[in-house]
Amino acid sequence: VARLNDAAALSTGADGPYWSALLEGRLQLQRCAACKQWHWPAVWRCSHCGSWEQSWEDVSLRGKVYSWTRTWHAFAGIEHLAKPFVIAVVKLDGGGGARLVGIVDDNADVAIGDAVAGCVGETPYDGASIPALKWRRL
Amino acid sequence: MNFIAGKTAAVGVGLRQYKRGASPLPERGVLVRAIVDACEDAGFSPSDVDGFATYGDDKNEPVRLMTDLGVKQLNWSSQVFGGGGGGIAGALEQAVVAVATGQASAVIVFRALVQGNSGRLSSAVMAHHLNAHMIGAGLVAPAQVCAIRAQRMFEHHKVPKSTVEAFVQAVYYHGERNRDAVAYQTPFDLEDYRSARWISEPFRLLDCSRENDGAGATLIVSAERAKDLRKPPVYVLGVAQGAAAGWGDLLENDEDELYATAGFRAVARRLWAMTGLKPADIDVAQVYENFAAQGVASLIDHGFCDYETAADFIRFENLIAPSGRLPINTSGGNLAQGFIHGIGMLVEAVRQLRGESANPVPGAETCLLAGGPGAPIVSSAILSSRAL
Repeated sequence: VARLNDAAALSTGADGPYWSALLEGRLQLQRCAACKQWHWPAVWRCSHCGSWEQSWEDVSLRGKVYSWTRTWHAFAGIEHLAKPFVIAVVKLDGGGGARLVGIVDDNADVAIGDAVAGCVGETPYDGASIPALKWRRL
Repeated sequence: MNFIAGKTAAVGVGLRQYKRGASPLPERGVLVRAIVDACEDAGFSPSDVDGFATYGDDKNEPVRLMTDLGVKQLNWSSQVFGGGGGGIAGALEQAVVAVATGQASAVIVFRALVQGNSGRLSSAVMAHHLNAHMIGAGLVAPAQVCAIRAQRMFEHHKVPKSTVEAFVQAVYYHGERNRDAVAYQTPFDLEDYRSARWISEPFRLLDCSRENDGAGATLIVSAERAKDLRKPPVYVLGVAQGAAAGWGDLLENDEDELYATAGFRAVARRLWAMTGLKPADIDVAQVYENFAAQGVASLIDHGFCDYETAADFIRFENLIAPSGRLPINTSGGNLAQGFIHGIGMLVEAVRQLRGESANPVPGAETCLLAGGPGAPIVSSAILSSRAL
């Protein structure tokens, strides 16, 4: 299985450093170097202060479930994911409260508000695998 | 100031729908058929069409339609951004603006979809919006994307699932009575709905729209010109498209109060303001339902009810023709009539206001068309049988 491990190929916008950090097993999110506003999705320009200088800071993979779905259907591209599986939108405790998406381990039952912790794993997709966040209930 | 109110009218409609994978013609051929149907419906020569507007990444370039239609000169061709059906009323808006300003005189609003040419619609929509963040989460289909929003509407905002059941039941009730609908003469069984297989929780199979091959077209001309055509004009009173800050392709980081909505709140506010109308003034509505829960969210966004009053308003008897408070999706909608990326909703809005619907709402003068919910760009319109 080919592993996509090129941050430039994974990035679709200003989020290149996010992927570089994820490939090293860490979470980094973007913050305006001038006014300290957190930005997610990543930006080139801070619309709060107009700055073009953005920094990237380590953020802890801890948060709360904001919403979730349990997928049963074998949609195109995810045939190799064991089903059913749970996807959570997680609101981080840090990082300006950014929300990140990821698969919850072991098809666990979750509810909105549940505390979760994350790590960096891989998700198979369409014959390859890509680095991804995995969550487990605390 | 509403610069377009009543200036233009829908004067002809055409809809060709087939089972997915069973279109007798390739996509552009079916589209030409539907456009000529719309022109014949209006008593209008296809060669006098001079503009086209569409949405949802439609692949049929208007310039390629000119030869079959005999178009003498192309004066307008445009498309609303976005891979989903959010732009359907926005496409109508482009046609209306083009005609009202004199940039074009006869504009076709269309959408065509034949799987053999464009592939599965759900895949095409996702190809437009997919990124590595979503793929890493196994989030690859519109059903999943909408399911996560719906789950928060149910679990956090406490909208009861009875609303979605009533919505689905009403839509199928209309489809059962429409001979052109996929669900024609198929009684809806609530127990079948409740026990259908899971797609992505909270969605089961019958929460999801079908996909059909086919094409739909609606002809827009000036109100003045509409008087001389074959059918009663259906006027466009107002239309709005767009997105508020904090809504859109934001990797699930929409504003907290917008997250579980269908994305229409700002668009609906503009629509009510520009028309001077309010939800109680609407006689019938075509509420695009890619997924039933998003149809419910769309009704809430447009102000027919709120999270607290949803269960009271969104009840089966309120949603059906002829005498419900707000009959919805009177052809059977995307769930029960068929789904050509929602273009059938615009066609039904016009037919209903002319008294041609399979499920007529007697005396209906105003119809809301709410476009694809949950899309980054959404749009809505109000049509009327009455001239201003």
